[in-house]
Amino acid sequence: MSPLDQLFSNYLPVFLGTGIGAILVISALVGSRLLAPYSEERNKGTTYECGMLPIRRASTNVGMRFYLYAILFIVFDVEAVFIFPWALSYLAVGPQAYWEMVVFVGILAVGLAYAWKKGALRWQ
Amino acid sequence: MSLSVTLAHYLAVSGVVFGIGIAVALGKRNAIAVLMGVELMLNAANLALLAFSRFGAAFEAGDAPLAGHAFVVFVLTVAAAEAAVALAMAVLVYRHRETIELDRINLMRW
Amino acid sequence: MNLEAFHFIGPAIVLLAGAVLVLLADLATGRRACVRPLAMLTLAAAALYAATQAAADTGGQAFGGAIGVDRFTIYVALLLIVITAAVVVAGEPGLTRVAQRGEFYALLLASTASMMLLAQARDLVAIFVALETTSAVQYILVGLGRDARASEAGLKYLLTGAIAAAVLLYGFVLLFGIAGSTSLADISRAVAETGDETRLAVVVAFVLIAAGVGFKMAIVPFHAWVPDVYQGAATPVTVFLSAASKAAGFAIALRLFYTGLGGGDTPVSADWAKLFGVLAAVSMTLGNLAAIQQTDVKRLLGYSSIAQAGNIAVGLAAVATGSTLGPAAVLFFLGTYAATNLGAFIAVIAVGARVGSDELRDYAGLLRRSPGLAIVLVLCLLSLTGLPPTAGFLAKLYVFNSAVQGGEQWLVWLVVVAVFNTALSAYYYLRWARTILLDEPLDPAPFQPPAATNAVLTAAALGVLFFGIVPTPLIDAARSAAAALA
Repeated sequence: MSPLDQLFSNYLPVFLGTGIGAILVISALVGSRLLAPYSEERNKGTTYECGMLPIRRASTNVGMRFYLYAILFIVFDVEAVFIFPWALSYLAVGPQAYWEMVVFVGILAVGLAYAWKKGALRWQ
Repeated sequence: MSLSVTLAHYLAVSGVVFGIGIAVALGKRNAIAVLMGVELMLNAANLALLAFSRFGAAFEAGDAPLAGHAFVVFVLTVAAAEAAVALAMAVLVYRHRETIELDRINLMRW
Repeated sequence: MNLEAFHFIGPAIVLLAGAVLVLLADLATGRRACVRPLAMLTLAAAALYAATQAAADTGGQAFGGAIGVDRFTIYVALLLIVITAAVVVAGEPGLTRVAQRGEFYALLLASTASMMLLAQARDLVAIFVALETTSAVQYILVGLGRDARASEAGLKYLLTGAIAAAVLLYGFVLLFGIAGSTSLADISRAVAETGDETRLAVVVAFVLIAAGVGFKMAIVPFHAWVPDVYQGAATPVTVFLSAASKAAGFAIALRLFYTGLGGGDTPVSADWAKLFGVLAAVSMTLGNLAAIQQTDVKRLLGYSSIAQAGNIAVGLAAVATGSTLGPAAVLFFLGTYAATNLGAFIAVIAVGARVGSDELRDYAGLLRRSPGLAIVLVLCLLSLTGLPPTAGFLAKLYVFNSAVQGGEQWLVWLVVVAVFNTALSAYYYLRWARTILLDEPLDPAPFQPPAATNAVLTAAALGVLFFGIVPTPLIDAARSAAAALA
């Protein structure tokens, strides 16, 4: 096999996946446009075709409250990043590893307690 | 000559991503967009770290010291901590000024 | 269990434990009064720990060589503790718009601890983590308070800091690629063997690193955040940044460039010597020219600190040309600059708390309103200018001398530029001094700063005078600290 063929065969699954994905999406869109009945009416574009009248525009900013949760989530997300390698090397390092993780999680727990006490977890 | 993916390829991708990141970070006027640029820069560095670690002499010799891989874990942590502080700071500024467009954050001369 | 390793980072652990305690005490009691004594107690304990390490002449490495203790780290640790203690003792009047006392003191302690770890780090991973912890904590410190300007300053500091950190990290990655190791000892060996193929990579790496560290040191062109952050942050935070953060920045620059990229004897040291030479000249000139136009004293001191960073960078350039005096001169300068800046800024806090603004004209006739305060401030201004018999004079002398000793023609020219800049800076420092001494006060009512402020001001003034007349103790300490670096 020539080097170029080799490179191509390495990436064949990727190309195939990309191709099939594109074909699926395009055929679904084109097919539904061709086959399904389509109304040109103006109300078609509204949020709910019947029932309640939408107020304000659909695209608004995400509420500020979500940011607090995002910040807290990041902290515990990263905790997991450290726990995986810790768990793998736990037997090699020995009991010291246990206490080090206790301290690490303890510090994060203090952070959580702080956030809790300050009312960051309350949905106002 | 083999056309398999080598260190140079990874470094080229990393360099391009770093370039895009710095262009975004210096060019955008929205605080969150600037942070996205920084995140690209950090991840470009991560990619280069992993590539150096994987293609380094020590790994090829078989005794896989994962210094580069360990570095990446710490970079991720630091990036997350920075993102947390950045989000908090953006929220704080937004509460004061109702905007995070850097052009309009101008109480002091820049 | 290997407790020896934790003994090496003992002072930092004490400070971090103290930070957690301060935070918990603030949460549990909700009373402001209890957190400040707790912070002072923590600092005293950490100072005691560091002092026993100094007395026992502890030395060595731990955590796989990532962290070390030597005279350099102890010098920096004690300097940082003294600065933080001064801020804790005398900062209270400047915190009128910061309601979160518990957070303020906890973050101050945490920041000091991470800067101490930064000085102790001997591995790229440890350096990066310590540097970013320091920065992240300082972003919050700057943003604390109900002031819209503070949060604005915090965001600006954070955005520039984040970009600088990413650039620095890329430089570290390149070094890792060249050396195949994150340890500074391995890197210095690899750099010493730089051949023609890797030369470009090494040069790019240290330019990127200089950009990242230059942000902490606040030298041009990485200085854009300085005036806004100095003005926007609560003044005690500004003191902390200008004295402690700058000291940590130069300490890590010494460690990275002197130990990591090898003093004056690697194939690339001439390159980074010139880099720092140019940055020094530009910082001094731009900093001074901008400072002349300022009417807000915190902004003025901000630009002045950029110019002073330029002066210290002259010492860094000298280090690269193999000047043996360079590292000691830089460390001595950092010590005296800390004393001088503490004096000046704490006087600014005292006046600001009384007048409610930081405008230059509010200092008119300060001599008649509060003579002690005025005398200390003028003394510090003389020291910032670099006039005898103050410590600032000797610091400049040592740095310039180390540059001349470097033996290169262009270093002599750099010193000439620096001397011209000293004359330039004299214009605005002495103009401020004249306002204090001679002008008619807008409001003649005399006032007396709080006792704690007076104590710190007296200590700073004594330090500035003492090290200006009897510099030997500090110079000896700086010399033995510098010897530990090589």
